[in-house]
Amino acid sequence: MDDKNSTESNLDYQGGRAAVRDGHDSVRREKPEPVAGGSNKVLISWVVGAGIVLVMAGGYLGGYSNFFDSSDSYIYPGYVAAARPVVEGVDTDAEQEPWIEVWMKDGKKVYTNCIACHQAAGTGTPGLFPPLKGSEWVDGGTERLGMIVLSGVLGPLNVSGSTYNQPMPAWGALNDEKLAQVLTYIRREFGELPEGQSGVVTKEMMKAAREKHGKRTSPWTEADLLAIPGDAELPGVEVDLNTGQPVAGE
Amino acid sequence: MSETMQEASVQDIQERAAIDKSARLPVLFFFTSAAGWLFLATLLGFASSVKLAAPELWDACPWLAYGQLFPAHMDSLIYGWGMQAGFGVMIWLMARLCRVEIKNGVTLVAAGFVWNLTILFGVVAVWSGYGNSMPWLDFPAYLWPAMFLSYAVIAGSLLMMFRRRREGEAYISQKYIFGAALWFPWIFAVANLILNHTGGSALMNAGVNAWFMNNLIYFWFVPVGLASAYYIIPKIVGRPIYSYQLAQIAFWALAVLAGWTGFNRFLGGPFPSWMPAISGTAIILMLLPIGAVAVNLLGTISGRGSLMHFSPSLRFTVFGGIMFNLYGLLVAFSSYFDISRLLQFSYATLGYDIMVVYGFFSMVVFGAIYFIVPRITGCEWPSAKLIRFHFWYSSYGIITIVAFMIFAGLAQGGAIDDWSGDFMDSVRRGKGYIVALAVAWALISVANLAFYYQLLMMACGKGRKSEGPTLIHKNPGEAASAEAAAGFAPEDTAKA
Ligand code: HEC
Repeated sequence: MDDKNSTESNLDYQGGRAAVRDGHDSVRREKPEPVAGGSNKVLISWVVGAGIVLVMAGGYLGGYSNFFDSSDSYIYPGYVAAARPVVEGVDTDAEQEPWIEVWMKDGKKVYTNCIACHQAAGTGTPGLFPPLKGSEWVDGGTERLGMIVLSGVLGPLNVSGSTYNQPMPAWGALNDEKLAQVLTYIRREFGELPEGQSGVVTKEMMKAAREKHGKRTSPWTEADLLAIPGDAELPGVEVDLNTGQPVAGE
Repeated sequence: MSETMQEASVQDIQERAAIDKSARLPVLFFFTSAAGWLFLATLLGFASSVKLAAPELWDACPWLAYGQLFPAHMDSLIYGWGMQAGFGVMIWLMARLCRVEIKNGVTLVAAGFVWNLTILFGVVAVWSGYGNSMPWLDFPAYLWPAMFLSYAVIAGSLLMMFRRRREGEAYISQKYIFGAALWFPWIFAVANLILNHTGGSALMNAGVNAWFMNNLIYFWFVPVGLASAYYIIPKIVGRPIYSYQLAQIAFWALAVLAGWTGFNRFLGGPFPSWMPAISGTAIILMLLPIGAVAVNLLGTISGRGSLMHFSPSLRFTVFGGIMFNLYGLLVAFSSYFDISRLLQFSYATLGYDIMVVYGFFSMVVFGAIYFIVPRITGCEWPSAKLIRFHFWYSSYGIITIVAFMIFAGLAQGGAIDDWSGDFMDSVRRGKGYIVALAVAWALISVANLAFYYQLLMMACGKGRKSEGPTLIHKNPGEAASAEAAAGFAPEDTAKA
């Protein structure tokens, strides 16, 4: 610093606490302020990276946006907008959704577990996964059905005239409510129910099924299942489809 | 040596000294009050995580309920510390880069008083249970206009300085400060008007809230932090930004993209799929500016990284820059649904927020404060040991928080995703990790106590009065070898 004397006198903070002359050299030692402009290197690696990012972003937008066409589609697979909750013991007025609709919507959510094999429309995959539509197992008694979902099926199984031989997983890990909902859903949605039946499976019925089923750990075979009478129903009271409450007079 | 900046001229030095003197009052005011808030915020962070880990504790005292401690902690961290420290950095940088003296120091301090009083009021209200439970906007509705006004005074002064600037073309840091000054009032007013004064649907309000949080990050914390990094790094390393053009591109990319983010916080939520899809796309495109920052960070310090051994400013700033890049990558990664279904609404979100507000922004601001304060006070930091302490405890703390919150999120996320499961189950799964959160906040509190103490010493003019900066390491042997590595003349290294 050639001009040291004049610099120092100018650096004196007269009014301030700090006398620059007493060793305040932080200002002096620093480099000039950075200015705009300068190097224009645009790294090839950044450009390549930018290309990848653009492709990723395009794929992302295409994949998740559903092409902006519907306000009724959601990213969460199988998401169904929540139904208005039904308050127990409260009179359902006309505006409130009937209990069965809520129950079916929840059932549809649980059914996302089954779509991979039985398909959204319950048609199954020929030769591999049996259909639920038109299946005598679905239309028949609820006891067999409850047992099937609780511990799955292994070995050949005859469904509407064809034989299938793939394992059906056990769903006992789902709680009673969810299982009751999904069974109600497949019965009402895909089944052809006998006259006068609502197809509803209630939580109590599923609970009874679990008790009957006991601690069985192995999957069912066709023979075991056929040993259960085809019209055996799980015990449970009939419920009002609007309120979900037991039908009066019970 | 074509890449190296020239030595400063005598006029430069006189001019800087005059600017620093004019900045002394407002900048020190903002720094010292911010540091006080920071200490409080970290204590609250510690208390709230202890409470979360052991909910039975202090049951008799409603003031120590988690639901009151946690928002008070976040709000004092963001508005008391973060934004306020940012004001100090913005004012000083703007004055230096525009080469103008600050003429309205007293007005700025008055605005700062209003800001501090409002935040104090807000934090006390939230803490005592009168908050409105909207994250980062918890203050009672009648407070935001006061914050808005005091912010307007500060931003107005920044813009006036910019108009009076002596240098023609604005440097990148000036652009970022200019942008942040204008973006904040926009997002703050929009979010408050919608949330507090036009009761829309609850669902949309949650969306607006998330939009505000993300925009406060990308329209305020990121630009202010980058403005500081783009100043401090070239200044200390002694050469210009590696690619100025990339820095410009990154600025405009940020400006265009930031406003679209936010709904990505609700990827699986009940929003029509195009809304989170657009936000997620913007988050992925953010990798463009973030990549540019990474390139510039590496390019500018490459070969001179050993300076981080000495200069606290450089070390804190580079740590922050690395955190920023990691944050961008993690957030982009989490905007894919398969990942976000495990992480969203879990502790991982908290980890990300802390990562950007503390790991990036606060660390960069510490770097700036270590640079600025010796210049405006005329003395040097009292103790290198305390600086080291501050750095290591902060960085251990922050890394612990981020890592453990992500693990906690993974442990929790699956349970939250099960819509019919028991919610408490998800809480229990994350619990063990919360202990680490408490420990980390304790570390950070202690670190900040050291920082606060040093800053107060400096503010009272009790710093070291010797020639030469306070360097992290001063072992002569080490210094010489590092200088040799950096290819420097000995005198050159003294750039703390
Ligand atoms: C991994 C594929 C797979 C999934 C997932 C699956 N199933 Fe099955 N399911 C099968 C197979 C295979 C069979 C036939 C079993 C056999 O061949 O032994 C079957 C049989 C059945 C049957 C009896 C036959 C029929 O078609 O009526 C019912 C009822 C049934 N599944 C219901 C369900 C329900 C409800 C779910 C969801 C909770 C579900 N399945 C999920 C593969 C699957």
